[in-house]
This record gives sequence, structure tokens and C-alpha cells, in this order.
Amino acid sequence: MLRVVAVEFKRSLLMLRRYPMEMVGQLIVITLIFYGLFLGARYIAGPAAQFGERLDALVVGYVLWTLALFAIGDLSWGLMNEAREGTLEQVFLSPFGPARVYMARNVAGLLLMLGLNLSILGLIMLLTGVRLDFSWAALAPLATVLLGAYGLGFLLGALALYFKRIQAFLNLFQFVLMFLIMTPFEQLHGPVRTAGFLLPMTPGAGQLRALLARGEAFDPDLFALALVSGIVYLAIGLWVFGRAVRIVKQRGLIGGY
Amino acid sequence: MAVLVADNLHKTFRAQGKTVRAVEGVSLRVERGEVLAFLGPNGAGKTTTIKMVAGLIHPDRGRVQVAGRDPHRDPWALRQLGAVLEGNRNVYWRLTPLENLEYFGVLKGLAAAEARRRGERLLERFDLSGKRSALTQQLSRGMQQKLAIAVSLIHEPALLLLDEPTLGLDVEAAETVKALIRELAVEGQAIVLTTHHLEVAQQLSHRVAIIREGRIVAEDLTDRLLARFSGDQYEIEVAGELDAARRTRLAALGAEALDGRIVFVGDAEGLWHVLEALKPLPILRVEKDRADLTKVFLKLIREDVRA
Repeated sequence: MLRVVAVEFKRSLLMLRRYPMEMVGQLIVITLIFYGLFLGARYIAGPAAQFGERLDALVVGYVLWTLALFAIGDLSWGLMNEAREGTLEQVFLSPFGPARVYMARNVAGLLLMLGLNLSILGLIMLLTGVRLDFSWAALAPLATVLLGAYGLGFLLGALALYFKRIQAFLNLFQFVLMFLIMTPFEQLHGPVRTAGFLLPMTPGAGQLRALLARGEAFDPDLFALALVSGIVYLAIGLWVFGRAVRIVKQRGLIGGY
Repeated sequence: MAVLVADNLHKTFRAQGKTVRAVEGVSLRVERGEVLAFLGPNGAGKTTTIKMVAGLIHPDRGRVQVAGRDPHRDPWALRQLGAVLEGNRNVYWRLTPLENLEYFGVLKGLAAAEARRRGERLLERFDLSGKRSALTQQLSRGMQQKLAIAVSLIHEPALLLLDEPTLGLDVEAAETVKALIRELAVEGQAIVLTTHHLEVAQQLSHRVAIIREGRIVAEDLTDRLLARFSGDQYEIEVAGELDAARRTRLAALGAEALDGRIVFVGDAEGLWHVLEALKPLPILRVEKDRADLTKVFLKLIREDVRA
């Protein structure tokens, strides 16, 4: 399976290189945003701003927002493009099966995005001389948020596989993501807090806020909840995607667009 | 053991309140080194059958075995199957031929180094080495099709499915693809070929199966099927004029002289009597009427429609 992740990473890298303007544009945007954040332009962090006013919190929030958006949408965009271009069926002919191939593609894409973001961040830190005081504990809830995001990614991927054109729905989903990441359910009480924490990504995002914005200590119980939430949503996403694969095979819908 | 056994496949699609019986009771067998031409008019159920064989469409009933394994139950059965599907690019246009070969090789279960090694060999064999670093989108249609076939062979599958492999190719590229298919069959590759180019099917296939409205209406060895539809008619061409006496004698034997040609319908013994009657006129040509696949195909399809 590692081979598939490696070859997917290589494919993603090569594809990125083959769209030079898109890559340059992406690099410029990431550089400008990080540079802006370093210069104190907090508003450009967008939805990430609610993770705290400190620079490290803004940077972590921004990276999380970018990766979560990528994790949720990349699979669906990829499926729609492949159905249109006529390579989807060849991917389905892999003995690894579509769920594992697309999981490998997700991991490869995440590594690439993370690599791109961290390289630029490192370069800016080097150029500006600013040092960030990262709370490494923040990486754990960040990972659980991404698990949940990939769960949602597979759910949307199932829709893309069946309906083939869900662009408008994907654009709308940005607002759902904003609601899930920005609503401070951890500060609410009673059934609303419980119901909020049952939603995808919310416990992890809540813990990130507690660590970065409010400077609270790492809460292992909240982390355990965030981890379970991430794993459950990923499992649900994979299960639904697997069902969608069976349905499109039954209805002969894999190749159509 | 047959490389492909498809047994009693059925598939019905339901859409917008309509029920379409796409495939009804189709069975196919392909042995090692055999090319099966799977023919039928548009909408007859060819592609649905091919996709059921490839595990891309679940049959409602029936079973598929590729090299003894069922692609619908055992995903590793796909390791024994390569496919070039019609209407698809099949490969990534933004990657080079070698990058495509490596990528799909790994997706089929090979190590990256092995996929690259086999990819280099296939590029050499398919005369694409010179284009190994060019983007696939910059290749000619013929080269792209050769690459798609190379990619489908990267994992050395037992069964190759080729859905319209010569569609949209110019004469030269089509000839190259045909030569490749012939070579692969000689090397032992089992191939299912669907095409609307019936002359291509006739040149390449060992056996033919014709499907009409979801059912197989004929399946036989190509030569036997052609012989079955060829009449007992002979055409003889001679130099010089036929005099009246000779015409009368030919008529008595059941032969008819038409525009310098003599047409005789009968057995081989009768033919010798006709040739005796033509003596000593120089014979330029004697030819038995032989059906071609187009004639057989049209006859079967029309007969079926009438039935």
C-alpha cells in the first residue's frame, strides 16, 4: 500500500508541475498570506482568526483551514475530473480497489500540501527572522480535525461518484466547514454542547481553540473525544464511499458524466 | 483452462421509469492465444458485457471467471486483466508515456522499479521510446492508443479487453495496432476485441460472437462461420467468346454465362463438368463465393430483427 501512496505522491507532484501557472499562483497566494500574517495583517487569516490573536495561533489556524478545505474537496474534484477525462474506470480496474487508491491519493495530496505550506513558512521565518513558538500539543487535535475532514471528503466523494457534477454543492460546503470549525461548542453547556461535539471536526477544533486562543492546558479527555470523532467520521465516510462504489457498479454509472 | 469464462450474464438497467434489458444470458469463453471478436450494433450490449467481465458493472445474474478468479468477489482477479475502454482516454494526458506506465503498473500491484523496467521494454516494443518524455497530450491519436494498449499490458495480464481499439485511427496507425494485436495473440495473449470495423475483426479473430439486443445470435470459429454463410456458388472467368453450342451445354449443366463470367451453383463434381465444357478456352479465374464478416453480420442482425 505504501507503494501506492508513493506513486500517488509522484503523480500529484508531476501533475502540479504540468500546470505551472496554477502552481506559481498557489505559491504566490500561500507566500502572500503567510507574509501578511507575519506583518500583522490578521484579517487575511479568514476563518482561522478565531484560533487566537498570537501569530502562531493564526498560522496553525490558517494551515488547518487550508488543509481541511483541501481534504474535503480534493477527492470530489478529482473524481469529477477523472470521470470527464476518461481515466476513472482505469483507476477502478486496480486490484487495490477505489477506496484504497483514493485514500492513498488523499494521503499523498495532504503530504504535498503540508510540504508546500511548511516550506514557504520556513522560508519566510528564515527571511524575516521571526520565530514561532508552536505548541506541539496542537498537532494532535489538528490531526483529528483532518481525520474528520477526510471522512466528509469521502462522503462528498460518494456523491461525486454517483452524480458526477456537484460543483455548486462543493462550493456551498465551505460555509458548512466554517460553521463546524468556528462554532465554539466547547464553551457551550448541556445538550447543545453534546450535540455540537457529535458533529464532525468540532471536538478537535474546540481543543485547538482551548490550546491556542485561551492558553488552556491539554485536556486528554477532549482529545480522546476528538480522536474517536475523527476515526468514526472517517469510517463512516469510507463505508458510504464503498456503498457508492457498489451502487455505481450495479447501475453502470462509473464512466458516465 | 479457459482464460475467460463468462457464464449466463444478465443485466437490466432501470432509469426514468424505463427498464432496459441490456444483456440476457450472454456466455463467452476465450482460450489462451485466442482473439474473440465480440460484435454487435450500437446498443446491443457489447460494452455492458465487457464491463461486466472487467468488474466495472455487477451482473444481475451469471458469473465471470478470469484465469479462474471472479473479479466481482476477488479484486486480485483484476491483476489478470488489462483493458482499453472505448470513449475513454485511459491514460493521463498530463503525464509522459513512461510516467503513465509506472503509475498504472504500481496500481496493478507492481513495484515502481519493476513497472519502470517493464514500461521501458513496452515503449521499445511499441515504438514509442522516442516519445518517452513527451506529454501524452502531445502524441498523435495512434500513439496515444498504442500507449493505452501498452499500459493495459504493463502487469502482463492473462486477458486483454480491447473495446474499439482502431476507432478514430488513420490507416497507418490502425495497421500498426492490428499488427500488435496479432503479435500479442501469437505470444499467447487471450483477447476480447469489440469493433465496428468488421474487416479488422475478420483479419484478427479466431472466433466471433455476435450480439443483438442483449443476446448472442451467433458464435463460432471465424472461418467456420464464414464458410457457413458462403454459398456453393462458383464464378469462372475465361478468355475469348463463348459460342452458342457451349452456352447451351453450360446451361444444361446448370451454369449461366453473364457478361464474360460463368456462374455455377453446385458441388465440386459439377464444377469439373463445367470446366470440361469450357475446354480449351484459357481459364483466367475460378473463385468460390466466400462470405465476408460484414455480409454475415448484416444477415444475422437483419434475420434477427425479422424474427
